[in-house]
Amino acid sequence: MGRESSERPGYEILAFVTLNKERILGGSQLTLLAENEEQQRLMVRDVAKAMKADVVQMKSGDYLVIRV
Amino acid sequence: MREGMISSEHIVMIITAICVGTLARILTVKEDFRQYPSYPNGYMIHLVTGFVAAALGAVAIPALMTKNFVAVTFLTLAIQQFRDVRKSERESLKDVENTEYAFRGDAYIDGIAKTFEARNYFSLIVSFLTALTIQIVDSESKLINIISGTIAGAVGFYILKRFSKGKTIGDIAEVEEGKIEVKGSELFVDGMYVTNQLGTENAATLFKNEGMAVVIYPHEEHFRIALDNFGQRQAALFEATRALGVKRYHFTRKDYEKGRIVVTLVPIIKDKDKLIEAVKKTPLLESTKKSHAVMKTNLVGKE
Repeated sequence: MGRESSERPGYEILAFVTLNKERILGGSQLTLLAENEEQQRLMVRDVAKAMKADVVQMKSGDYLVIRV
Repeated sequence: MREGMISSEHIVMIITAICVGTLARILTVKEDFRQYPSYPNGYMIHLVTGFVAAALGAVAIPALMTKNFVAVTFLTLAIQQFRDVRKSERESLKDVENTEYAFRGDAYIDGIAKTFEARNYFSLIVSFLTALTIQIVDSESKLINIISGTIAGAVGFYILKRFSKGKTIGDIAEVEEGKIEVKGSELFVDGMYVTNQLGTENAATLFKNEGMAVVIYPHEEHFRIALDNFGQRQAALFEATRALGVKRYHFTRKDYEKGRIVVTLVPIIKDKDKLIEAVKKTPLLESTKKSHAVMKTNLVGKE
């Protein structure tokens, strides 16, 4: 994977949406704190739609909005 | 023959050789239709460069016969011209990379560009062979000269075509339909993890209902060297997306243990056979061929 990851397409994290403010550590991406799961899903969907991006749901319950 | 004037024999030789050489290019452009987005203008460009290549091959023999040895050095110009064909082809394909459904990838572009350069040599060699045969036969009858030259050109073309014919993924691997499973935001094909990018409900539903996948099973272990190559997988993905279109999402993934390769996407046209055919017919890239067995070329036209 080492070489493959350096090939196009490159991935860019556009947003990170979490329910836990302890996990907000900074970075270049937009980081949003949602109040509940429903709001989290809506936030993710809106950002992804606006940026024409894809969504990754992490096992921790947080969401990443990424663009290929 | 008057001094400084070209003889009628040479005119017949040059015209025949140019026609046969250009025809060789026309036939190969047609065969290449799948590899190249051959818009009318793209077609035109390659026919004209093929004509020029044929003309260069055609005049070499008359130039030698009239002791015009210096004139033969223009063949070096031909080499330069063909390199430019490769360069312009590469640039043009790279320019459209961002507008395609999936990237062709640099390896595939390099392969296509090389093919286009080689096809110009076809024209040159075929027209040269035609002219040479006409010169050797040197019959009183122009018709016999033309026929013998054409036959020699056709035989040369056939051998060159077989020699340069590359293999495809279908030659070294089985391509079968894969079963798609979506677990949460994760996508699996035949039990093989592909991606976790289906984070929204829409994405998961879309893939579950409309997604398609094929799995490539290499015939031999050493074929994995070529198939696992990122450029090769990208080329297969590109061909799949171009054959069916892409509604949303396309991925490839390799399985390290068994050497399986997954190509999956949500296509516009849901046609399983077309998808399998597109992946099977993806050319095996020259730059990825490493195995000795794979590198066997059809030198004398054997299958």
